[in-house]
Parts: sequence; structure tokens; C-alpha cells
Amino acid sequence: MLRVENLSFSYGKIQAVRNVSFEVKKGEIMAIIGSNGAGKSSLLKCVAGLLKPQTGKIYMEGEALEASAYKTVEKGVCLIPEGRWIFSNLTVEENLILGGYTSKTVAQGIERSYDMFPRLGERRNQRAGTLSGGEQQMLAIARGLMSNPKVLLLDEPSLGLAPLIVNDIMKIIQDANKAGVSVLLVEQNARKALKIAHHACVLKHGTIVKEGTGTELAQDESILSEYLGNVNKNKKDRLIINA
Amino acid sequence: MFFQQVINGLSVGGIYALMAVGYSLIYSLLNFTNFAHSITVTIGAFATFYFLAEVFQNIYAGILFAIVVAGILAMLIQILGYSVLLKKNAQRIYLLITGLGISTMCDNLVIIAFTSRFRVYPANFSTKAINVFGATVGTIDLIILAVSAVALIIVQLFIKKSRAGLAIRGASFSLETASIMGINTQKLILIVFLIAGALAGLAGALLGAKYTAYPALGSNMANKAFISSVVGGLGSITGAVIGALILGIGEVLISGYVSSAMRDIFSYTLLVIILFVKPSGLMGVDTGERA
Ligand SMILES: Nc1ncnc2c1ncn2[C@@H]1O[C@H](COP(=O)(O)OP(=O)(O)O)[C@@H](O)[C@H]1O
Ligand SMILES: [Mg+2]
Repeated sequence: MLRVENLSFSYGKIQAVRNVSFEVKKGEIMAIIGSNGAGKSSLLKCVAGLLKPQTGKIYMEGEALEASAYKTVEKGVCLIPEGRWIFSNLTVEENLILGGYTSKTVAQGIERSYDMFPRLGERRNQRAGTLSGGEQQMLAIARGLMSNPKVLLLDEPSLGLAPLIVNDIMKIIQDANKAGVSVLLVEQNARKALKIAHHACVLKHGTIVKEGTGTELAQDESILSEYLGNVNKNKKDRLIINA
Repeated sequence: MFFQQVINGLSVGGIYALMAVGYSLIYSLLNFTNFAHSITVTIGAFATFYFLAEVFQNIYAGILFAIVVAGILAMLIQILGYSVLLKKNAQRIYLLITGLGISTMCDNLVIIAFTSRFRVYPANFSTKAINVFGATVGTIDLIILAVSAVALIIVQLFIKKSRAGLAIRGASFSLETASIMGINTQKLILIVFLIAGALAGLAGALLGAKYTAYPALGSNMANKAFISSVVGGLGSITGAVIGALILGIGEVLISGYVSSAMRDIFSYTLLVIILFVKPSGLMGVDTGERA
């Protein structure tokens, strides 16, 4: 459905993504795991049209995507960026309305968002900047779904959230997927991501070093131990606690 | 006398506000001051003059023509002047220099094209003075005040209530985030230049009616409008209007009761005081660096 072919991207001399190819199939959750600085965010920004890759192509349902963020949204691909990028000067509801900028069913989308996240409904007229981290992540996901995307790109949705909330977020991603949205999930939190992923790959220094099903990679001790070796002590503790 | 001065000040302030809002809108979206803004004011006055002289002697039709011409000119300035730099995400100083260049070049082109003579509109608002609450007030000042107020209210409603207005408010927080909502930010920027240009064209048309049309009109007045928007808080529309009204009334009262030589000193002193006391302006939020 969403196919990336031989994609490379560099910031000047720093090469962040090297010749990456993969495909997100219709209806699946695909995870890309990798440690800090592996190139995950750069890769997703290329897919979302925010960065223009030096080489390589991105196809959505067979059609090549331009490096243009708004056109990518129109093609049904929506990015929920790392750090959430909430419009903190606007209210919760205004954030949702902007999320549905390309949608013809904004009212229904807002209703669906409040069904999914009652806490957002209670805070609909509150400035989004005053929400807690978890609430902001919920808003970011609800806002992303407002455009009725076919593919959702999620950049580290668990970042900075308490373990219990991470579980909620993963559950929501699974629910959205069951409702028909294909998902490309990028995570440092490997165990959580692999648990819900149908397919996954490992990104290291900008290249894909391993691929497989979620379960295969979750059982691949060499991957996990090496991967755990790359994250700092706090993150490691969190992973173990969550496991 | 005092009441008359206040109305006069409000009409001057109203025109400053039309220009100041343009500075604020563009600043809030793109984080730079559009120094080419003044030329759209000058062109607004000349467009009205030539429309009245050559096409049709109706001041309201002339004003509408000026609004259209200045709006288009502002979009051209964005397309031909700024858009390449913005796409490259150039440092703001380059945008400022480009704006100054456009402004200087256009001011001179206007002198070449229209000479530096002062042009009196062949058709104008009534020059009669009318009696309001026992004070004599110029009809022209009342009309200018009313027209400015209506234009500013329309723009405010557009920003606060419309879908595109919401997109502008979102984009003024972050253009990049707006783009991943599916908003065509290049188009949005053009809309903002169109609004700023249309308001500036209206301001120019009204200034030409109140004074005359001449090549330095835009630069002279836009300076005051720029001070207004800094005093009110760059990037804030309400702030721009408040700053403009303070400046307009203050200037008229100072010229009336102290000396007209003190008028500009008042404006710049106010600017300096605000920059010392509250650099972000009356309604501004502190965002650190400003350009
Ligand atoms: N704006 C930037 N300018 C220069 N280098 C960058 C920029 N953003 C990221 N990088 C570099 O690109 C590499 C990949 O970063 P990123 O894609 O953010 O990784 P991840 O999301 O996996 O943590 C890193 O080496 C990082 O330092
Ligand atoms: Mg990242």
C-alpha cells in the first residue's frame, strides 16, 4: 500500500537515511525500531513530505508521492510527529477541526474523537497547550485520524509517557488499525511496538538491518540485547518494567 | 474642540490600524516585518487618484479599485520577492533586506512613473463639517473612521470565525504543523498577503482623500503604522489596532495642544518607552528575538 524504495536522505554531510526500502501492507501495523539517532524521524518526515529525499521514491497505492506535506495528506497519509506538535495556542476542538482540514466529515470526526477519548471531550474548549503529556498525545492521535487517513505514520507515540498510558496508546493504535487504518509505527520502545506489530524492521545508522514478523523479532535475543545495549539506563529500566 | 480632536485622532488611528494589522498578520505567520508593505499604501492612493481622474468620479468606486490593485501587488511581492527565500527557509535578515530593496525600488519607480507632485483627488468625500454633540466634526473624518472600523471588523471576523482564519491562526503557531494537517501553506501565505495588501490599499486610498497622493505617502505613514504594531505587540492583531489608536489620538492631541513639531517626537518616544518597559508590546507574548 505504502511503498518506500531505495530512499536516502542527508542533512548536508550527515547521512540520516541510507537506501531504505520497505512496504506497509494494507491493514497491517508495521513497526520500525531503532535507537536514538538511527534515522527514524528523518525517514518518517521524508515519507510525510516534510523532507525531500536525495534519492529514492515513495509510492502510495502505486502512485508516486511528491515531497509536499499537504499533498501527502490529500493522498491519505498522515503523520503524527515525534513531540506531538499540538497547536498549543488553539483549543482542543480547534486542533481537531484543523486535523480535519481536508475532510468532508469534520463534525462526525469530532464526535468520534470524543467517543474515543472522553477526556478530550471534557476539555474541548481548553487551550491545548494546557493538556498533560498523555492528553496531548491522545489529541495528536485524534487529530491525525480526523483526516480519515489510509495510512497513519506514528513517530514515537510512547515518548515521555508513563507506562500505563503507553499501554492505552498502544491499544488505541490497535483499535484504529482494526477499524481499517494501516499503521507505520516508529519506536524506541521495542517490546511495546513489537507486541502489536504484524511486521517489523530494525533501523540502525540509517539502514534496515533486520526484518521479520513482530513475534520473530521480539524473540530474537540478539536484536533485543543489542538494541537494549544502545538505550540509556532509564529507558532500559522502563523496558524491563514494561516487559 | 477636544471632541473634534479625538475624532480626528481616531480617524488617523484607524488608518494606522489598517496598515499595522498588515504588519502584524505577516509577522505572526512568517516572523519577519514586511518592509515592502509601505508601497502597497502608496499604490492604493495613486490607484484611487488615477481611477477618479481617468475612469469614473466616484470616491467609493475608487477605493474599491485601490483595494484590488494593492491586494494583487502584495501577492506579487510575496511571489516574486519573498517566496523563493521562504521556501529555502532563509534567515529572516535576508527577507528584511529584500523588503527594504523592494520598498526603495518601488518608491523610486513611483516617482519616475507619476512624478513627485501632490495629487488632489478629483472627487472626494464631502468636506462639510457636521455638528455632533455640540462639536464640529469633519464628515471625512467620520467616514474614514467608519470605513476603517468596518474593514477591521470584517478581517477580525474572518480570522476568528472562518475555516481559513483558523488555518491562519494555526499556521501562525507553526507553518510546518499546518502543512501536515493538509493545509497548503503557500496558498495560505498568499491569502495573508492579499488581506494585508487590501487593507494597505484601503489605507492609502483614505490617506489620499484626507491629505493628497504623493510618492512618499506610504513610507511616511507606514513608519507610524510599524510603530503602532510594535507598541501593540508585533503579531497581535488586537494589539496593532490598540497601538494605532493610541498613536493616532496621541499625535493629534500633542499637535493640537502642544506643538505639531512634537508629534513625531511623541511617536518615537512612545516606541522607545515600550521597548524598554515591555519589549513584546502591550498585547504581545514574549517570544524572544524580533526582527
Ligand atoms: N535538523 C537536523 N540537522 C542535522 N542533522 C540532523 C537533523 N535532524 C536529525 N539529524 C541527525 O540525523 C540523524 C538521524 O536523526 P533522527 O532521524 O532524528 O533519528 P531518530 O528519530 O531515530 O532518533 C542523527 O544523527 C541526527 O543527529
Ligand atoms: Mg526521532
